[in-house]
Amino acid sequence: MTMGYVLLQNLRRNPLRTALTATAFALPMAVFVIAISIVLNLAIMSQDLAKQLRAAVHHRVSFTNFLPEGMRSRIQALDQGKNRLTAVCGMRWFGGRVPGAQNIVQSLAADHDTFPIVYPDVAMSEHEIAEWNRERRACVVGKLIAEQYGWKVGSQFSLQSSIPPYQELEFVCVKIVELSSRQSVMYFRRDYLENSLEALGAGPGGCNVFWIRARDAESLLALQRDIDAAFANSPDETKTEDENAFIAGFIQAAGNIPGLMQMLAVVVVVILGLVGGNTMMMSLRERMAELAVFKAIGFHSLRVFRLVLTESVILAIGGAAAGVIPVWALLNLIPLSVPGRGPSMPLTASWQGAAGSLFIAALIGFAAGLWPAYQAMRLKTVNALRNIGE
Amino acid sequence: MSAVDIDLRLVRKVYHKGRMNITVLDGLDLSIEGGDFAVIMGPSGSGKSTLLHLVGGLDSPTSGSVRVGDAHLERMSERELTAWRSRHVGFIFQMYHLVPVLTAAQNVELPLLLFRMSSAERRKRVETALEIVGLKDRMDHRPNQLSGGQEQRVAIARAIVTDPDVIVADEPTGDLDAKTSTEILQLLSLLNSEFRKSIIMVTHDPRAAGFGKRLLHLDKGVLERDERHTHPVQPVAV
Repeated sequence: MTMGYVLLQNLRRNPLRTALTATAFALPMAVFVIAISIVLNLAIMSQDLAKQLRAAVHHRVSFTNFLPEGMRSRIQALDQGKNRLTAVCGMRWFGGRVPGAQNIVQSLAADHDTFPIVYPDVAMSEHEIAEWNRERRACVVGKLIAEQYGWKVGSQFSLQSSIPPYQELEFVCVKIVELSSRQSVMYFRRDYLENSLEALGAGPGGCNVFWIRARDAESLLALQRDIDAAFANSPDETKTEDENAFIAGFIQAAGNIPGLMQMLAVVVVVILGLVGGNTMMMSLRERMAELAVFKAIGFHSLRVFRLVLTESVILAIGGAAAGVIPVWALLNLIPLSVPGRGPSMPLTASWQGAAGSLFIAALIGFAAGLWPAYQAMRLKTVNALRNIGE
Repeated sequence: MSAVDIDLRLVRKVYHKGRMNITVLDGLDLSIEGGDFAVIMGPSGSGKSTLLHLVGGLDSPTSGSVRVGDAHLERMSERELTAWRSRHVGFIFQMYHLVPVLTAAQNVELPLLLFRMSSAERRKRVETALEIVGLKDRMDHRPNQLSGGQEQRVAIARAIVTDPDVIVADEPTGDLDAKTSTEILQLLSLLNSEFRKSIIMVTHDPRAAGFGKRLLHLDKGVLERDERHTHPVQPVAV
C-alpha cells in the first residue's frame, strides 16, 4: 500500500459526492474547453492570416456600401514603383441559399484573374486555376459547406442570392478548400455575377471590398495608409484594415465571441473553485477525527496538508477529464464551426487546449484545496480528539 | 523494544479559554516504570486525558518535565514530537477511528508508511500484529464488515504494529459491551505481560481498572490516590 492508494481510496469514501463533484467539474470544463478552443483557434487563424499580407479596402461607412468598379485600377495606380502591391481582388457579397434550404451559404463573387494571386493559401493547383479561368460558373467551396451539401469537385448546383434582385445562379465546383479559415466560405467569379445582374437590368454595382496583397509587411502598412489617404474626402471614403482586423470585426458582429468566451471561462473557474472548496471542506469536516488520528500516529502536519491538497487536485483533474476528453474527441471527429456572417472559423480542439484545460482544472483543485488543507495542517490533534470524545 | 520508564515532574497544564485560565494539571509528579500497566481514573475534567496526551507526546506541558525513556518531550518541537510518536507510542481510542475505505490489514499498515521498509516486511509485521489480536482471518475485511470489538482489535493492531515502547489507551472499552470489553482488556493485559509493553489507560469503568497493575486516581489536576494491584485480572490467550 502507498499513500497514493490511500488517497485514491479516500475518493471512494462517499462515491455519490465524488461523482457529483466530478460531474460539477466535468460539465463546466467541457464548456471551458470549447471556449478555450475558440480563443485558440482565433489566435491560430490570426497568426496564419498575418502571414498572408492581405488587407481589405471597404467603404468607411459600412461594408455594405459599394465601392465603384474603377477603384481597383486606382488602387493599383498607387503602387507606382510596382514593388509594394502584388494584386487587387474585388469581391461582392452574394450570400446564396440552396433552393429550399434555410441556411445561407457564405458566398462571395471574386475577380477571377487575381483571386489565386491574392489567396495563394487557398492552394489552387495549375489545373484548378485553369478550370477556374475556363468555366464562368466555376466556384471554390469550403470543406464544411461541401460536406454539408454533399458537393464534390465537378458537382453542379444552384444558389439563390439572399439580396436583391435575388437571382439564381448555377455553379460548378472546381475545388474544395481545406484551409481552416476558408472552410465555411464559397468563392465564385465576379464577372459571372456582374453579367447576370446586367442581364436582369440591375447593372454593375461595384464591390463590397477590394482585397489587396502586399509584397511585405512594411508595404502592407504603407499601402493601407496611402489608400485611405487617396480616397479621403471623396464620396467613397475608404477604411483599409489588415485581414485580422477585418475578420475580428465580423466575429465581433456575431457578439464579441472572444470576450464572451473569456468571461465564460472566468465564471467557470470561479464557480468550480467554490464547488471544489465546498466539497473539500465538507469532506474535511467528516474526517477531522481520522486526520487527527493520522497526526497522532506520526503523520506530520505537512504530510496531512499534502494529502488533502492532492485529493482536491485529483478530484478536479478526474472530473475535468471526464468532461474535456469527450468534448476534445467530439470536436476532432465532427467538423463544427463558429457561426458568423463573414469568414467563419472551424472549431477544432487542439491537444494543447485540452491539456491546458486539465492544467487549469488542476489549478482550480489546488486553489480549492488550499484552505481545507491548511485547516487540516493546523488541526490540533488534542482538540480534535477531545471533540470526538464529547 | 525494551520497556521504558515514564517520569513526570511538576507538570502543570493550563488551558486558556477566552480570558479564563483553566488549570487541568497542577504540579503533578508521577513515575511509571517500564512494563507497567497504569490505569488512570477520575471524574470528568480531572485531567486524566490531558495526562495521557502529555505522555503520548500529543501535547506539551505549560511547565514541568515529561520524560519517556530518554526523550524529554517538553523540549521537543512539534515536528520532533510527531516523529517520536511514530516510533515510540501506540494510540488506542474509544471510537477506534479506522479508515473506512481501507481493509483491516491496510489500516494496520498505515503507521508503517512512515518507515523505510520493504512491502514484504510491512506485510509480515501487519500479519503478526493482526495475529496477536486474533484477526488474521479478517485481514481483508473493511471496518463496516467488522463488529465493534473487532474494530477495536484492528485499532490495537495498528497501535502495536510499529512495536512501540508505550501504548496509551483512552477509554478503549467505552463503546463496547461487557463481554467484548473483557476481551479487549484481556488483550491489553496480554500485550503488557507477554510483550512487555508499558500501557497507560484512561477509563471510567472500575471493572476495567481491575485489569491494570496500578491505579492512579486524579481529581482537579492532582494525583489523589496511587494504588498498586497485587492481583490484577490475569490475561488469557486470545
